[in-house]
Amino acid sequence: MESTAAGLRKNGDQPPVVQYDGVVKRFGSLTVLNGVSARVNKGEVVCLIGPSGSGKSTLLRCTNALEIADGGRVVFEGQPLPKTEGELRHVRQRMGMVFQNFELFPHMTALENVAVGPITILGANPAEARAKAQMLLEKVGLGAKGGNHPSALSGGQQQRVAIARALAMDPDVMLFDEPTSALDPETIGEVLNVMKRLAEEGMTMVVVTHEMSFARRVANWILVFDEGRVIEEGPPAQIFDAPTHARTQSFLSHLGWNG
Amino acid sequence: MDFDFSPIVDNWGFLAQGLLITIELSVATIVAATLVGIALGLGRVYGPGWLRVPLTFYVDSMRAIPVLVVLVWTFFAFPLVTGITLPPFWAALAALTLHISAFVSEILRAGLNSIRPGQVRAARALGMSGAQIVRKILFPQAVVRMLPAYGSLLSVTIKDTAIASVIAVPDLMRQSETIAAQNYAPIEVFTTAMLAYFLILFPVTRAVEAFYRRVAHLGRS
Repeated sequence: MESTAAGLRKNGDQPPVVQYDGVVKRFGSLTVLNGVSARVNKGEVVCLIGPSGSGKSTLLRCTNALEIADGGRVVFEGQPLPKTEGELRHVRQRMGMVFQNFELFPHMTALENVAVGPITILGANPAEARAKAQMLLEKVGLGAKGGNHPSALSGGQQQRVAIARALAMDPDVMLFDEPTSALDPETIGEVLNVMKRLAEEGMTMVVVTHEMSFARRVANWILVFDEGRVIEEGPPAQIFDAPTHARTQSFLSHLGWNG
Repeated sequence: MDFDFSPIVDNWGFLAQGLLITIELSVATIVAATLVGIALGLGRVYGPGWLRVPLTFYVDSMRAIPVLVVLVWTFFAFPLVTGITLPPFWAALAALTLHISAFVSEILRAGLNSIRPGQVRAARALGMSGAQIVRKILFPQAVVRMLPAYGSLLSVTIKDTAIASVIAVPDLMRQSETIAAQNYAPIEVFTTAMLAYFLILFPVTRAVEAFYRRVAHLGRS
């Protein structure tokens, strides 16, 4: 299946941006990831779906080594993730991450949140970093909010600032960890629209989500998780319209998904 | 009962000198204890294991020993042990700093530990180093969060300077005792002293509280 699938996939003939080889992760006696293998090609939007606790977010955190895999390996742009914290920092700088709870820095304005990475980590010229941050805020539709602190922004606005903050580091891949799960229904759309535009620009994206209609419309590839394994993968049309695995069918029907 | 406030009027310069010493000792203690306390707190939370044990022991002992005992030990016993005699003001500053800095470090530690782990995760995901995370993300938020407790500690510190009178630091308390004894006017003199302490402390605690209300949102993640 893997060889035929690779041929179908966007940029499947090129080396993947991220590759997971039998990734295992345990917390104490609990095995959260039980040998996950998958790939993320350049410019692809790969959505990770499945029940809560099935390991999706853990795999995302293993991608930029916020969690260290106990077995198997994560390969980023042809190189297995390094071992030392110092080297890992350089890898993380090339991966953007967006969190469920935004995690903006509350003591900084929106603009400072976006500029802090380039200034602090990359040693960018502060004036240039701020100009770029302003441009990124405009890109996510918040050009007028740069002077606001996070406490003065809605959830949807905070999450868009968080996306801009990640983009400021010019990442090669963006990791989204349930980016709309903490949002009011009326602000979910504004965040998904920003993500959709990012996908159209060709950004490589790995998205853990419960937004099935987003996954259906925007993803190029779906990984279905259950109990720490990928039980099924394929293009959205196949996963949503003709899931082969019984667990996928029951998961989708529980969400009220009916194609 | 007749009140005679003339001893205060007659000796206002003498009392004002005491007030000035109280303010000087308070400010010096606050600055020194804050700097030492920050170093202690950072050392306890982020320092290597071999450093944490003695720092924790130091903080725990300062919380367990009355500040008055630390003060008289510093003034009377320390010179016998080391051969170094400290003038009363400096002995008081040293003892108060030893004591108050332990509390500053505890407040800072609580502030740092109260910041949710997602903030560190976000900073790490950007690619920040441990030192950058503490400096840019955690410490500024902890400072905001510790303000209410720090404000209380400021008033405790200013009040605690009064015990320096025990080792003859000529502060407001000591000068008041002198005037009260010379004129046998304890009610008038000590009431005035109370009022003076209150007039210093009340605005300080109010100002810290008002400032905190303005900046509280900066520490809320």
